[in-house]
Formats: sequence, structure tokens, C-alpha cells
Amino acid sequence: MKALRRYLKRVTAVLLLLFVLLGAYGAYSLHTYGNRWFASNVNTFARQKKQDVKAGNVYDRQGYLLAASTDNSRLYAEDAAVRRAMVHMLGDTTKNVSNGVESFMSVYLYGFRATFLERAQSYFAGVKRTGDSVLLTADAKLSAYASSLFPSGKAGALVVMNYKTGEVLCELSFPQFDPLSVTESTKQDPQKPFYNRAVQGLYAPGSTFKIVTALSALENLPDAQTRAFQCTGLLQLGEHYITDAGTRLEENKLTSHGQLTLRRAFQVSCNNTFARLALEIGDEQLLETAERLGFNDNFLFRDLVVENSSYPLKNRTDKEIAWTGAGQSALLVTPMHMCMITSAVANDGVMMEPMLLSQVLRADGQVREEFAPRAYGTVMTGEQSDVLKEWMRAVVTGGTGTRADIAGVQVCGKTGSAEKDGQEETDAWFVGFLDEEEAPYAISVVVENAGGGGSVAAPIAKKVFEYLLGEAAR
Amino acid sequence: MAKGKRRDPARGMLSVVMLFYFLAFMMLFFKDGDWRAAGLALCVPALIFVGVMGIPRLFPADKLLLSLTNFLCALGVLVLYRLSPERGFSQAGNYFVGVICMILCTLLVRYWKNWKPLIALMIPAAFVLLVLPLVIGTEKNGAKNWISLGGMSMQPSEVVKLAMLCVTAFLLSRRKTVLTILFVGMCLLILMLQKDLGTALLYYFVTLILIYVSTGNLPLIGVGLLGGAGAAVLGYNMFAHVRRRVAIWLDPWADVDNAGYQIVQALIAMVNGGAWGVGLGLGNASVIPEYYNDFIFSVILHEFGVLFGLVVLGVYAAITVRGVMIAMRSRTAFDALLSIGCAAMIALQTFVIVGGNIKLIPLTGVTLPFISYGGTSMVTSLCVIGLLQGVHSRIQAGVSEDKMLAGLEGGVK
Repeated sequence: MKALRRYLKRVTAVLLLLFVLLGAYGAYSLHTYGNRWFASNVNTFARQKKQDVKAGNVYDRQGYLLAASTDNSRLYAEDAAVRRAMVHMLGDTTKNVSNGVESFMSVYLYGFRATFLERAQSYFAGVKRTGDSVLLTADAKLSAYASSLFPSGKAGALVVMNYKTGEVLCELSFPQFDPLSVTESTKQDPQKPFYNRAVQGLYAPGSTFKIVTALSALENLPDAQTRAFQCTGLLQLGEHYITDAGTRLEENKLTSHGQLTLRRAFQVSCNNTFARLALEIGDEQLLETAERLGFNDNFLFRDLVVENSSYPLKNRTDKEIAWTGAGQSALLVTPMHMCMITSAVANDGVMMEPMLLSQVLRADGQVREEFAPRAYGTVMTGEQSDVLKEWMRAVVTGGTGTRADIAGVQVCGKTGSAEKDGQEETDAWFVGFLDEEEAPYAISVVVENAGGGGSVAAPIAKKVFEYLLGEAAR
Repeated sequence: MAKGKRRDPARGMLSVVMLFYFLAFMMLFFKDGDWRAAGLALCVPALIFVGVMGIPRLFPADKLLLSLTNFLCALGVLVLYRLSPERGFSQAGNYFVGVICMILCTLLVRYWKNWKPLIALMIPAAFVLLVLPLVIGTEKNGAKNWISLGGMSMQPSEVVKLAMLCVTAFLLSRRKTVLTILFVGMCLLILMLQKDLGTALLYYFVTLILIYVSTGNLPLIGVGLLGGAGAAVLGYNMFAHVRRRVAIWLDPWADVDNAGYQIVQALIAMVNGGAWGVGLGLGNASVIPEYYNDFIFSVILHEFGVLFGLVVLGVYAAITVRGVMIAMRSRTAFDALLSIGCAAMIALQTFVIVGGNIKLIPLTGVTLPFISYGGTSMVTSLCVIGLLQGVHSRIQAGVSEDKMLAGLEGGVK
């Protein structure tokens, strides 16, 4: 019986542990996913309750009113250009756009955070309750301006964020539409305007991924900065050839960069060198670097829903690994994530979590909640980010990204021209940042099916940077 | 208790519980003006009072255990009444019948001396009951574990739980480990054929625990766990509905409108409730299919809040601990094994269904003891408590006998 009692105690410990597990898991999942579950459009309870509340206002960082309510309808900004530019970030009440501010922040906008006292007050006063207002970090004027720069008729995305804080200024997706005049043709548009490409669009990063490959080289190859690489213009792997832009095998035309350093290879975006580099670093190491930068992570940001980026994991051939080094081959990334990676380089290796919400105000104007920036993590050392910064600067001063250069300003960047099956032209990418103390902004632009990143995307980034510098100088 | 008046903790708790239900039903009465709610506001606290204070007059009983159990049973009646008055009433009836059966179980354990023929009867009876649904049963949620007899439907695997607890405790107390494994193995096989995997899981783990407590043989438990894992893989590959449940568990959002609907709505109900709940009678938890059965815990979280949900879990944990305390004080191996089996059954069943509700583990269709809607479940759960009370009163009888003997010795001096 004595042994039996000893065993009994152990069994009890296990049984009680099960209860602790239930409580802990419940608390964890509510804390982590609660807002996402609440904002889901299958939440019928919240939908019913919303009818009893007048939704609060949405303001941009300058106090520009983006959305407001009358007693029975929702109003959006008066300026059509602002309305169109902000539609993906805001979403709309018809929920054509998923996870916009209007639905994702409904917990505030529809007053679910109101205290018992506030509820009682409006109940006894016999008035319809008004929800909280939210202050966004977004800049409506900049968003409208940047939208005007985008090639008309093209699909794509543009993201601008403050790399020191993670504040998102622009989260634009193209084509845009006016929330006040959604027609059948908007719904049937083959370009799918409801789709928020900035955070939901999964693209091949193309050569912009060379930032990741380069970082991995700096980490894993001690002589990465000094070694002389040899570009032959053609890298044969079995039946397959890794080629550079300009090479046409069928015409026997070969572009090669000859002997070059890694800095130079980055500057001119040499596929050959980066393919070799990826094979030398090895898939495992490259994967490790990519995962540190957020690939294959389940993004659970506080203020916005960002699709997860992926770096393929299984059964990879040399051909695939080599192409990965140059940013092709099943790699998928959102423009928002690419902007975060660029920001990490700019911010001395610290990647900030994108934030959209700066304050929540009660109906009487008092601050209910205020939000501080949050870091995603330190993803590289200060030395590594310095090297990458200098290389990205070189891209703009004398490489593929010269069309983003602004005289007297430290513009850094990386271009990309990503191939996509069944598409005539490449997706044009540009990611970059201003290495300026008073204008700490990073950008990520992608224009689908448009051509080279240096010629299509870089000039857009340049104009946006000029605007930001002008605002900073004021 | 000769030393003055010591406050009885069960008594204080009893008044709080009775007041809680009185107020809750009165609130529902004022909300809808339905006189039946007012009736329940009186009946339910009365039933609790009788259940907690009346029973100890029949035999020595653990009052704290009684009040915890009655709290949960009445919570089931309350939540069910609020969502569907018919179900609430029917559950109140189940509660009443359950209390009677609980008393019968206690009396059985308390006074039955010769268990051997009883066990010999239980084994074939258990098999017959388990096989019945396969022959004349009806399928419900993918499992074929219900039978209908003359307008009444019941779930034999629930009732067999009681026999299974008694049989395994008896066999193991006589060191008949192999026989135990054979018996339970047969039961599990039949349950697998019924596709009643939730119940099979419970039988399996309770048996493992009992074997461990009686033998302390960890390698054997290791083999048992491996066997269980093998059976789980086999079940996964054999049954499509198991694969579906696992897929839903991994990502219920993949098919929010169909396959994942239940669990997603349960999670949303939980988050809508928040810490304090939306309030009794103010929620819309009936959007969850099976809200009265598999997902009743989510309904509680929705209307009463997460903090109250933790309290309910705490009550289950307290029942478990109380059961273990009875096992610790037991004087025979049979008593100890029977009571730890009962405690483990309640704890594991709670874990399996609550874990399923909050997406910690895949959902299996077992009921939440004492609370879920259904006569079989209510009666069985209360009978399990009855068995525990029986052991308790046997221990108390033994203790008072000792005291009496000690007193006699004193008298000789």
C-alpha cells in the first residue's frame, strides 16, 4: 500500500498538470490569436453587436479623417484619390478587402473595449454608443501621391515604412478602386482589385533576395569581402544553365561580368556569382539566414495581417539552390516583408515589426490606448548591416539602381527583375532606404509584368523619397 | 467535532452555490418573464441542498465532493435552460435521476461484501452492452455508439465505464494484470469498431493509470503507450473521419464554412466572451452546432467569461484531488484503485473535451462530465461520484470502528 500511495501521488501530479495545460494553452491562444478570431468575418456575434454602436473614426498620422459614421452609414474620405489609395489598408464595410483596418480593428471601432461604466452611461442616457477612434501611422497624402506615380493599368504594391519604428506610412496595392462605387466590373476584374498585394501578394523576390544571400555569405564565408569571383555568364548544372540578364542561349549571346568582387557582383546584380555563392554557402546555411529574416515564420503582428513568406524546405536540387541565391525558384515573399528586410539593413540590423496603429481615442477624445513600436528581432550584426548598406549605396551610385539616385542624399537600394511563368515581362522590384537621420524611411515597390526593376520601379522610389525629404525639411 | 463549532467549508460553499443559481434563474425569469425559470430558481437550489445535506444523513459522505459535483450539475441545467428551456428541464430530470443512481452506487460499494460474482457478471454484461450498438445501433457524428430502446436512447459505452472501473480495479487488486489487459483490450477493440474513439481513449488512459498505480511498472506503461501510439496511427490510416478531425484540428480556418465551422465558432465564442463573459442570456452561443453537448464548455466561456471558465476547471481539479484523497486514505488496494480510477476518469474526460473545445487536441465526441446534455452521461458521471462516495463511507466506517475499539480498550483500563 505504501508503494501504491507513492504512485498515486505521481499520477495526481500528472492529472493536475493536464488542468494547468488547459488553462495555459487557453490563455496563450487567446492572447496570440484573440484579435484575429474576433476580427474574423464569421464572427456573427460581433456583427450583431455592431448594429448597436456607431463606429468610431479613422484618422491618418496628420489627423486627416479617413472614415467616419453617420447614424446609419459609413463615410470615407472626400477626396477620391485618397479614398482609392487607402482602400486596401482600410478595407471597407462590405468586406471585399480582407483584414483591413475597418474589420481588423473593429474591437476598437465598435466600442468593444468600452468599460462597464461607459456602457451604463450611454444606456441610461438612451443614446446610441459611439465606438473608439483610431489614429493610424499611415500618411494619406503621401499614399495618394505615391499612387499617382504608379504606372496606370499595372498591378503591384508599394510599401513605405519608418525603419526605426516600423510605422507603416503607405500600404498600397494596385489596381485600386473606389469603395463608394464598387460595381460588377470591379468584382469581375481579372486583376483582382480587392486583393491587398502589399501584405497578401506572394511574389518571387528576384534579385532583391540577393540582400539575403549576401548576408548569408558575410556570415558563412570569412573571405566574402575580399575574394575574387569569376563570372562566366553561364553556369552549367547538369542539363540546366544559370544565366544572367542579357544572355540569350539560343542566339549564342553571352553577357559575362568577368572577374569581380562580391560588392561588384551585388552592384551589377550578377546571377552567376550569386548562384555559385548559394551553392557554396549551402542550402542549410542560406535557409538559416532566411528564416532569421522572417521566412517560414508565422507572422502574427499586432496591427496587420501579413501573409507568411516561404523558403522551400525539401528535396532541393543544385539547380534550385543556385536559383534561390538569385531570388528565384519557389521563394515567395510579400512586399511588406521585403520592406521589413530592407529596414533591418537600414536600422543597423534590428528588424522592426510593422505597426499601423498609434493611438485609440475614446468618443470623448481621451486616449484609451497608446502603442509603442515593437522589434521583430536583431537579425544581423552592426558590421554586417554597414557592409550591406555600403553595397546597397553602390547599387544606386553605380549599379542597377542609378535611377533612384538623388544628388546629395544617401539613397541605398537593390533592384530586382523577377521572372514569372506565363508572363511576358518580369516583375519590377525596387527595395531601398534613405540613410538620413531626419528621414529614416524604407520603401519596397513591385510592379507586375512591367520589365526591369532599375528602369520601372527605381524611379517611383526616387520620387517618393524626394517627397519624404521635402516633408522632412519642412 | 467535539471541540466547539468548527466551520464546515462545504456548508459555506453550499450557500454561495445555492444563491448563485437562485439569482441566475431569477435573472432569466426577469429577462423573459417565463415562470418556468422562477420554478427552477427554487427547484435547483433545493435539489442542491438535498443533494449535499440530505445524502450525508444516509451514510458518511464527503460533503465538499458533493457540493462541487452539484455545482457542476446545476451549471449544466442553467446553461441548457438558457439556450433551450426544454433541454434544461429534461436535464433537471436527468440530474434528479442521476442523484438517485449515485446513492445506489454508494450503497452498493458501502454494503456489498462479495465482489467476485458481481465482477464475473459485469464482464459479460459489459461486452453485451458494448456490442449492442453495432447490432442495433444508430450512427451519430461518425460514431456508431447509440442504441434506442422503447423511445429512450442511450450510449452503452458510457454505462460500461462504471463496469470497466470496477472490473479493472478488482482484477488489478488481485494482481491479475494480464487478465486486465485482455479485458480492456477487448473493450477497446469493440469501441474502435464503433468508431467511438473518444471513449476508447478514456478507457485506455484510465487503464494505464490503474496498471501503473497497482504495479509501478514503468516499462510496461512505456509498452502500453507505444501500443496506443501504434493504434492511433492505425486508426488515423483506417478511418476517414479520424483523418478529417485531425485536419480540422490542424487548421480549422481552411474550411471555415463547413468542416471547420464548429471549432471556429467555438473559438470565436470564447474570444467574444473575453475575461468576464458577455453575460448570462446575452450571448449567441447557439451558433455553435452541438452547443448543448460537445461544446457546452465554449458556451460557458462565452456567457460567463474565461475567468469563470478557469473556476469551472478548478472545480474539476478539486473533484480530482478529492478523489485522490479518498484513494490515499483507502485501506484496501481495491478501494484505492477504484477511487483513483474514478478521479482519473473525470479528470481525463474533462481534459479531452475541454482540450478539444479550445483546440489544444483534436475534438473527440466525449461529453463534459456533469454538464453536457444527456441522461446517460449525467447518470454515469454521478455514478462515478457515487462509487467514490462509497469508498469514502467505507473508510469512514472503518475509522469509526477503530475508534470504537480504541474506546473499548480505554474502558478496560
